[in-house]
Amino acid sequence: MSTYTIPVGPLHVALEEPMYFKVEVSGETVVSVDITAGHVHRGVEYLLSKRTIFQNITLTERICSLCSNSHPEAYCMAIEQIAGVVVSPRGEYLRAVADEIKRIASHLFNVGIMAHLIGFESLFMHAMEIREIMQDVKETVFGNRMDIGANCIGGVRYDLDDDQRSWLLGQLDRLEPQIDELVGIYTTNRSILNRTQGIGVLSPAEAIEYAVAGPVARASGVAYDVRVKSPYTAYDKLTVEVPTRTAGDVWSRAMIRLSEVKISIGLLRRLIEDLPDGPTAPAERPEIPAGEAIAKCEAPRGELIYYVRTNGTNKPERVKWRVPSFMNWDALCTMLKGARISDIALIVNSIDPCISCTER
Amino acid sequence: MTELPVDLEARLTAAAPAGLRLIQNTDAKGVTVLWCELADKNDLLGVAQEIKAVKGRLMTISVFQPTPPESDDDEEEDGDEKSDDGEAVPPASLGGIAIDGKSYELAYHFDLDGATLTIQVFLAADAAEVISLTPLFRNADWCERDYMENYSIHVIGHPDPRRLFLDPSIEPMALERLIPLSTLVNAASTKALWEKIISHQSDTPS
Repeated sequence: MSTYTIPVGPLHVALEEPMYFKVEVSGETVVSVDITAGHVHRGVEYLLSKRTIFQNITLTERICSLCSNSHPEAYCMAIEQIAGVVVSPRGEYLRAVADEIKRIASHLFNVGIMAHLIGFESLFMHAMEIREIMQDVKETVFGNRMDIGANCIGGVRYDLDDDQRSWLLGQLDRLEPQIDELVGIYTTNRSILNRTQGIGVLSPAEAIEYAVAGPVARASGVAYDVRVKSPYTAYDKLTVEVPTRTAGDVWSRAMIRLSEVKISIGLLRRLIEDLPDGPTAPAERPEIPAGEAIAKCEAPRGELIYYVRTNGTNKPERVKWRVPSFMNWDALCTMLKGARISDIALIVNSIDPCISCTER
Repeated sequence: MTELPVDLEARLTAAAPAGLRLIQNTDAKGVTVLWCELADKNDLLGVAQEIKAVKGRLMTISVFQPTPPESDDDEEEDGDEKSDDGEAVPPASLGGIAIDGKSYELAYHFDLDGATLTIQVFLAADAAEVISLTPLFRNADWCERDYMENYSIHVIGHPDPRRLFLDPSIEPMALERLIPLSTLVNAASTKALWEKIISHQSDTPS
């Protein structure tokens, strides 16, 4: 049977950002996929080497919107290693609080968009309305709904007083039953199950071969979470549950994200209740000597790694990072093989694509 | 926390006959970071095979051109003091590649179940060739394409050496060239903001 090639993207209704797939199809079935990337390449790595070490905290936050807290966090952790700065216990707990708040909002966005792609608009709006609780939390605590500016070198730039802590716990109490309801719908609704189960499969062996990260890896049986494997900030003081599934399909990835939302709510309660006293950040900016360091953190999409090299000047010599989506794109070619044309958007969304992050 | 393979150092040393320098640090949270400089880039494949054998995972590859220690052109830097504390870059790498601002340093970051092992390889500017790790690590494909378009390094045996993020019409070696900031940020704005500021200035008595 003869095949022909159809374009998906670069501007596509199902993608918030531009990515161009050349999809070779035979009838209704995908035979192969070629990805042409680079539509939002901005040269941020180059720009980072032209700004000062401290200016770059603001710049790294703007690499991506949904994991905007993870970038400056990993960058600050790398600089702290070079400068020998130790973050105070309160600073570490507050960093983890910011991390988990962003994780919940990011995961809910992705599962919401999945409902939208299925055509289940009422569920999409319901999921986004639930997510709005976390958006309000961000706006109230940090003053902004996406770029929360929580991190600085040596700690955090925000603090929680007793009123804010009890208000935050109240918001989590409001959120949790709604998440339970959402999990129920995603577990039982026929429209969801029919459209998402058994499609976009990545086997456990393929997940290891492609070195995928985050919920994509965990939905294919790879129990890897940076918070557990190489703990940072306050995660060495917490027990982080790592949910895994083995089916490796679109539905499993969504369910992993929903499970992680539940786990994050639990972690947030512990962090807020056990918040130690003390300073949130050092009073003065440290001197940054020459050196190199690696820092990793678990962004909403998985392992984020930063490599920073300094030479004793006020500008970093090299900053390189790799986002979890970077490997997930290549794995997408395997997930899409044999899929129906109508499922392409759903499968692409299931890796929780982050294009600005990947192309930098 | 993370259990490193007990024979890791022996494996790496055996795989790098030209020599290596291994440093290991464990932080207060029990996270181990290993740095391993190779004297000869030709040992890279053997070392990578050993890492693959102990179930290592390639995380990413960082490439850059280290600046020479003393000749910092526009920064007011006291180079003499820095070179004494042992942290500063030596004038030549392990293996004798001169750090002249044009030579390359490649850092391959591997994950060993939570620990990070970085293998550092040095390339002279006139012999900027390195073997591809794609036969061992599937995800080296994108990592190598990523640095190939930014530096003039030839990767031997890459199965698909196309551009990754930069359009083929863009000049190569993007990170080796000076790109003016206005070009980089594609600076374009209207005069509206400027005119607003000027009109406000004339309103306020000076």
